[in-house]
Amino acid sequence: MRNRFDEMQEKLHVEMIKMGALCEDAITCAVKALLDGDTTMIQKAFAAERAIDEKEREIEAFCMQLLLRQQPVARDLRVISSALKMISDMERIGDQAADIAEITKYTGNSPDFGKMHIKEMAIAAVKMVTDSINSFVKSDTNAAKCVIMEDDKVDALFIQVKSELIRLIAESPGKGEYCIDVMMIAKYLERIGDHATNIAEWVEYAVTGVHRTEEENV
Amino acid sequence: MIKRIFAGMICIAVTVMILCGTFLIGILYDCFDNLIYTELQNQAYFITNGIASDGDAYLNRIIQSENRITLIRPDGSVSFDSEYDAESMDNHLDREEVQKAFASGEGKSVRYSDTIGTQTLYYAKKMDNGSVLRVAAEMDSVWVLVLGVVQPMIFVLICTAFIAAILSQVTAKRIVRPINNIDLSNPEFDEPYEELAPLVQKIRTQNSRIQEQIQELRRKRAEFSIITENMSEGILIVDKKTEILSYNSAALRFLDVTEEDAARSRSVLEVNRNESIRIAVEQALKGMNCEQLMTAGEMCYLIAANPVFHGDGISGVIIIILDVTEKEKREQLRREFTSNVSHELKTPLTTIYGIADMLCGGIVKPEDTKGFSETIRNESHRMMLLIDDIIKLSHLDEAGSDTERYPLNLLAMAKNVADRLSYTAEKAGVTVAVKGIDAVIEGIPAVIEEMLYNLTDNAIKYNRRNGNVTIIVMEENGQACFSVEDTGIGIPKEEQERVFERFYRADKSHSRKIGGTGLGLSIVKHGAALHKAAVTLESSEGRGTKVSVVFHPCV
Repeated sequence: MRNRFDEMQEKLHVEMIKMGALCEDAITCAVKALLDGDTTMIQKAFAAERAIDEKEREIEAFCMQLLLRQQPVARDLRVISSALKMISDMERIGDQAADIAEITKYTGNSPDFGKMHIKEMAIAAVKMVTDSINSFVKSDTNAAKCVIMEDDKVDALFIQVKSELIRLIAESPGKGEYCIDVMMIAKYLERIGDHATNIAEWVEYAVTGVHRTEEENV
Repeated sequence: MIKRIFAGMICIAVTVMILCGTFLIGILYDCFDNLIYTELQNQAYFITNGIASDGDAYLNRIIQSENRITLIRPDGSVSFDSEYDAESMDNHLDREEVQKAFASGEGKSVRYSDTIGTQTLYYAKKMDNGSVLRVAAEMDSVWVLVLGVVQPMIFVLICTAFIAAILSQVTAKRIVRPINNIDLSNPEFDEPYEELAPLVQKIRTQNSRIQEQIQELRRKRAEFSIITENMSEGILIVDKKTEILSYNSAALRFLDVTEEDAARSRSVLEVNRNESIRIAVEQALKGMNCEQLMTAGEMCYLIAANPVFHGDGISGVIIIILDVTEKEKREQLRREFTSNVSHELKTPLTTIYGIADMLCGGIVKPEDTKGFSETIRNESHRMMLLIDDIIKLSHLDEAGSDTERYPLNLLAMAKNVADRLSYTAEKAGVTVAVKGIDAVIEGIPAVIEEMLYNLTDNAIKYNRRNGNVTIIVMEENGQACFSVEDTGIGIPKEEQERVFERFYRADKSHSRKIGGTGLGLSIVKHGAALHKAAVTLESSEGRGTKVSVVFHPCV
C-alpha cells in the first residue's frame, strides 16, 4: 500500500516538474518576445500557457485522488496540499506570461525601451521562476530562501521602472499609451516575482512544516 | 528449527510423563488391593483362631477393629456384625464372596459404591463350625485415589515440564548451532550432520554458480561502463517512470549536472527539464523515436530518445546526447554562404538584366550604349571574378594533402606578385616594397601565390593615397613566414575575427567602389589551413593592418 503511495507521490513530483518547466518556458518565451522582438515566441508563450492550464487541472485531479484514496497524514499531506497551492501560483505565472506576450504584440520595439530597467526586471523575474522551480525539484530550502530574498530586488526594479515611465510621460505626453503598456508589463513581471516567492514559500512549508505567514504571526 | 525441536521434545516429555503417571497409578492400585487382601486374610485367620479358642466372646472383644467383621451362619443369616445390628441384616447367602467361601473354603470380592466413591473389599473364610467369617475393608475407589494423586502429579508435571523445557531448549540449540555455524562463503565447509550432506552439496554447487554469475555480471558491467564512459556521446537510460537507471559522464557533462545530483535524482526531469528533453522523453515513452535539438548557452546538442520495448510494453527510454555545436555552426556558415553567394551573384545579374531589357526595348539612346555596355562588361567581369573565387575556394575545400607540393622560394614569389600588382598599385598611388631573405617552403605554388596576391591586393585596395605596402619574408626558429603590412584604413577590433568569413566585408559602404568579392581573406585562410600555417592579423583603425602567415617547419 505504502509502496503504491510512494509511486503516486513520485508521479506527482514528476508532473509538478513538468508544469514548472512549462512555466519557465512560458515566461522565457514571453520575455524573449519582449526583449528580442521575436514574434514566433509570442505564439510559443500562448501554447505554453494552454499547456499549463491543462496540467493544472490534471495535477489538481490527481492530488484529489491522492487525498481521498490514500488519506495521507503529516509530511505526505503537507506535500500534497502545498502542491495544490503551488499549481495555482504556477498557473498564474503562465497567465501573466501570456498577458505579457499579448501586450508585446502592440508595444513593438522602441528606442525608449532600452533606456529603462525593464530588461533587468524581466531577467530577474525569469531567474526567480527558474530558481523557485529548482528549489522545488530539489526540495532545497536554501534555494527557496534565496528566491524569497530576490523578490525585493524585483520590487525595487518595479519602482524604478515606474518612476522612469512617469518621467517619460512628462517629457513626451504622446507616448502615453506606450508607457501604460510598459507599466502593465512591469506590473505583470512584479506579480510573477510574487508568485515565484509563493512557490518558494510552499516549498519551505512542504519540507519544514512551517509556512512563512504563520511564522510572522507567531 | 529450534522451536520445532523444542516443541517436539516438550510434547514427548509430557506424553511420557502422563503415560508413566497413569501406569504407575494402575500398578500401585493393584498393589494396594493385594496388600489389603493379605491383611484381610491375616485378620480372618486370627479371628478364626480366636473364635476357635475363645468362642463368641472374642468377637465382642475385637469389635473395635477398623475392619468390618461379619459372621454368617451356614443358612446365610448373619449372626454377628461389628458395625451393624446383626438381627436386622438380610440373608447373605447371595453375596459372591460368601457363596465362594461355602463352596471352596474362602472367597473374595469387590463392590463399588458410587454414592460415596468408595469400594469395599470382602474376604470370606469358612470356619470349622460351618459358618463363614467375612472381613471387609473399605478403601477409596481408583478415581478418588487418582484425584488425590492428581494435585502432586500436576505439580510434579509442571516441575518436570519446566526442567524438560530448559533441557530441550539447550539440546535444540546444541543441535542447531553447528548448522548455523556453517560458513557458506567458504566452499570447503564440512557438513555438521551427514543427513545434511545432499543439501550442503546443493548449496555448494549453487554457490559456485552464483559466484560465476556475479563475476560475469561484474565483467559485463565493467565492459558496459568502459564503453559508455569512453563514448563522446552522452547516454542516459531512463525507466518508464522517467527514473534514471544509468548514465555516463559525457551525459552529465552535456547536461551540466554533478555526479551526486544525478545519483540522487529520482527523475530525469529533476536533472534537466529543458523543453527538448521533456518532449523527447514523452514521445519516446509513447513508443516513438524522437530527435530534438537542445541549445544550452553557446552549445547545441542533439537529443535522440529511443523507446525500449520489453515484452509487450515500453519499459524505458534510451537517450543519446550528441554535441552538434560544431556541426550546427558549420551548417549555419554553409547556409549563410549559400545565401551570400546567391545574393552576390544576383546583384550584377540584376544590373545586366535591367540594361539588356532596356537595350531590347530600344529605349536607349545610341550615345548611351557605350556606357551601358561598359556596365555590362564590368558587372559580368565581377561575376566572373566571383565565380573564379568560389571555384578556388571549393578547390581549396576539396584539396587534400594529396596535391603535389614543391619547394618554393617565398621571396621570389612575393616579388613576382608585387610585379603583377605594380599597375594596380600605381593607379592607387601606393608603393609596394618586398623585403627579406630567401625562405623556402614545401607548398602548392598556385595556392601560395594566390594567398600572397590576395593579401597584397587587399593591402593596396584598402590603402590611402601615397601609402606603403611592405611584404616581408623571413625565417624565425626554422619557421618560414611572410607578412603583408599596409598603412591603410585598418580593421575595427570587433570585426577582426570576422574578416576571414566568406563574403564578410569590414567596410560595407566602400566595398562596391573598391571591387573584390569578399572572398579574398577566406581564400587566404583556407590556403593557410591547407599548408598547416597560422594566420595572424594585427590591425589598428586608421593606421594599417599587418597579416602574417607562419609556416611550420618542413618535415
